[in-house]
Amino acid sequence: MRAPRRATTVAALVTASGLAALSIAPAAADTPPRIGIVCTTGTAGVGDHPVFDLTTTTGYISLPDGNTAFMWGYSSRFDSFQHPGPVLCANEGDTVTVILHNTLPEAASIVFPGQADVLANGTPARPQLNGSGVMTSLTNTASANGGTVTYSFVATAPGTYLYESGTNPEKQVRMGLFGALIVRPAVGADHAYNRPDSQFTPSEEFMVLLSEIDPFQHQAVEQGLSFNMNNYHPRYWLINGRGFPDSIADNYASWLPTQPYGSLASVLPYDATSHPYPGLARYLNVGTEDFPFHPHGNNGLVIGRDGRPLESPTGQDLSFEKFAINIGPGQTWDVLFKWYDAEGYDPVTNPVPVTVPSLANQEIGVFYSGSPYLGSTQTMPPGIQTLNQCGEYYIISHNHALFQLTSWGTNMTGPITYMRINPPTPNNCG
Amino acid sequence: MNERAGLDRRQFLKVAGGVVAVVGGLAWAGRVLEPLPAGAVPGAPDLYLGGTDGWMYLPPTPAIPPFHPDVLAPSPLTTYIFGFRNLTGMDDTQKANQKNKAQHSAPLFWVNQFDPAHPVDFTVAVTNLGLALRPDLFDAHTLHWHGFRNVIPFFDGEPSGSVAVRSGREFTYVYRPREPGTYMYHCHVEDTEHVHMGMTGLVFVRPLQDGNTSYYPSGRYLYNDGDGSTGYDREFAMFLSEVWAEAHWADAHIQLPEWSDYRADFSLLNGRVYPDTIAPNGSVDAFNPVHDADGDLVPVPGFEHLKYQPHSSLVTCNAGERVALRFSNLGFREQAMTVAGIRLRVVGRDATLMRGRNGTDTSYQTDTLNIGPGESYDVVFTAPAHQGPGDYDTYMLYNRNYTRSNNLAPSGFGGAATEIRVYASGVTAQAHPNDWGL
Repeated sequence: MRAPRRATTVAALVTASGLAALSIAPAAADTPPRIGIVCTTGTAGVGDHPVFDLTTTTGYISLPDGNTAFMWGYSSRFDSFQHPGPVLCANEGDTVTVILHNTLPEAASIVFPGQADVLANGTPARPQLNGSGVMTSLTNTASANGGTVTYSFVATAPGTYLYESGTNPEKQVRMGLFGALIVRPAVGADHAYNRPDSQFTPSEEFMVLLSEIDPFQHQAVEQGLSFNMNNYHPRYWLINGRGFPDSIADNYASWLPTQPYGSLASVLPYDATSHPYPGLARYLNVGTEDFPFHPHGNNGLVIGRDGRPLESPTGQDLSFEKFAINIGPGQTWDVLFKWYDAEGYDPVTNPVPVTVPSLANQEIGVFYSGSPYLGSTQTMPPGIQTLNQCGEYYIISHNHALFQLTSWGTNMTGPITYMRINPPTPNNCG
Repeated sequence: MNERAGLDRRQFLKVAGGVVAVVGGLAWAGRVLEPLPAGAVPGAPDLYLGGTDGWMYLPPTPAIPPFHPDVLAPSPLTTYIFGFRNLTGMDDTQKANQKNKAQHSAPLFWVNQFDPAHPVDFTVAVTNLGLALRPDLFDAHTLHWHGFRNVIPFFDGEPSGSVAVRSGREFTYVYRPREPGTYMYHCHVEDTEHVHMGMTGLVFVRPLQDGNTSYYPSGRYLYNDGDGSTGYDREFAMFLSEVWAEAHWADAHIQLPEWSDYRADFSLLNGRVYPDTIAPNGSVDAFNPVHDADGDLVPVPGFEHLKYQPHSSLVTCNAGERVALRFSNLGFREQAMTVAGIRLRVVGRDATLMRGRNGTDTSYQTDTLNIGPGESYDVVFTAPAHQGPGDYDTYMLYNRNYTRSNNLAPSGFGGAATEIRVYASGVTAQAHPNDWGL
């Protein structure tokens, strides 16, 4: 898919409900999916030599408490500001070229952790030193106010990677100069790695990019003031550049014009014949501390970290299941997951073995169908509204450092998203 | 649902024959289970928990003015909490009496792995007793079994995706625990607040392999290991939580804390700080609870200040015995739990045996467990030979982040720390987890 053009697709894609509707069918060419990873596959180049143009821009993002934050970002080609940067998708063996166009008032750059033999303008990319031999950038830069630098590397190892600024990263990365790079294996785009046991369902591939914001740092940068990193103290924590409940809105939701990436995971239950392969969640942490992300109801099977499969030198499987994905700063984890209807509860043939209390006696959640059963709905008591469409399940995933589920005083926001489990097809979700 | 009450649903069940599907050979080599009937019986739940508020004890000095000790606290208690109490077997009056008598940590409980050959549901009823000090709050409560795989929202306790329990109501959660290991549970309503205020505890699932003495003489295991590598003679639950004094004070004083200012003033092990962690157990056998005529907890004589913190963390064992420690962390910070002088073998994490999908052994030995929020670790160690002098040798188990094994005092141990006492012999069999056997 080419880089999506936001302006031409938003109107057709976004529902007003704030809750994403089901979209299982593969998106048509040039139409970004409403849910799941939005790949940018190169803005120029041919075949196995994709070229990505990235431009540093400034803009604002919307936060769940109603605040906005001034940001820096990488945008695709010469598009306006977006946060986070575009998800760059390449294939194993590609010679990837990234041209950085810098519009910022200071030099900027990109480092590609996990990639070897990166070139800058055709020569090996190197840390930059000043005249006194002190490092000024982790890699070659594009100079301020219009400079350009061209990086290239061969994407030799499939997996999930970060790309981020290597220049004043304590400022530039915090300001938003980061994004995800996905390298798909030679065996096929429906595998995370070249191992057969890394196969996943392509319509259930999701990104979980975790970050944080200290609003005072952003304000200082906006006002051209210096910021003392000793005072650094995040007040917002985000997933794919959004806080809950924005996090579960569609990709390219119209009310989040600079935050294109949603994080709702929409899946079907595991089925041995119709849905045999799990989903894949690509976790990335660009924050400053471990983020213990907890998906309810399904253990993640961690099959890779930092763009390498978890296997021994002799190919023995070293993957492990986790219910807390405790991901460190700069790490990426590739996690297979699924939800299996373990008990097969059914209103007629296999009811839940408990008397279901009247809805009027319960506190009803906004995503609840009114029924314990997948695919069933029940009329809500007067005055109660639900966002549930067709008896689908919503199971939460969130950071379990629970004090981070806040937006500077607005609680139960931040890095929260949901796994939406759709009833087996055919269903009434449309 | 009442119209279904008389239905014998066994006759309707779709029994799929216990197929273990490994589709495509390699699609998903994790556990896959087919629906099976269970012999659920309406009636008394296996456990009956009540959610309410209350008070607990943390060392009052040094003070953290104005937050700690709380001026509203009834002496000798210091800290306002929300919590669960075990109401199993109580009459209605006794249950109602437990309002404002929460405990921390929440009652430790455990359950046998669901056995398809003898299917029995495990049920936990939760009632909401209300908050005595904060009648202005009408917070609901839920029970979220953290880590339970493939749960349906109805039994997950996450209030947005299903339902929560209003004050005065009750709800019964039904579990078929198919995966042994160590988990944790908590209320998921406004969970930043309700978790931090103390509605948190540890739960674990015993494996079907239990009782098989061919792998390990005791016939007791952490997992279905097939080789005895997780066999043990004694087991101790180690539940980690934290107290930010300002947040607890704020709830008592009708204030809201700014959660991004969070700090762990106190680090707790089974709801206490050292040296209280080595004080005796109160009523900690969830299935044989002890209470007075009013339903209240009964303090251990001499430890009245720990009335609402019944769980001891003292580890006692005989030399040469294998000891299992089950750790879960529902604090908001990573914990670096260290044992000095004894190597630990990590055999499980997040209720998963340390094995790759093809059986590769991924267990490892360490001194220090870095346990993130929401993570669990299962470890075993073999008690070293008794050296003396004295009846027992003492080894320390503590948070290697020393600011967390400290009670804010200028010197001295505290916080998330306890002792492992190795006797030459004479420690008797455990009646329940965390039992000293003395």
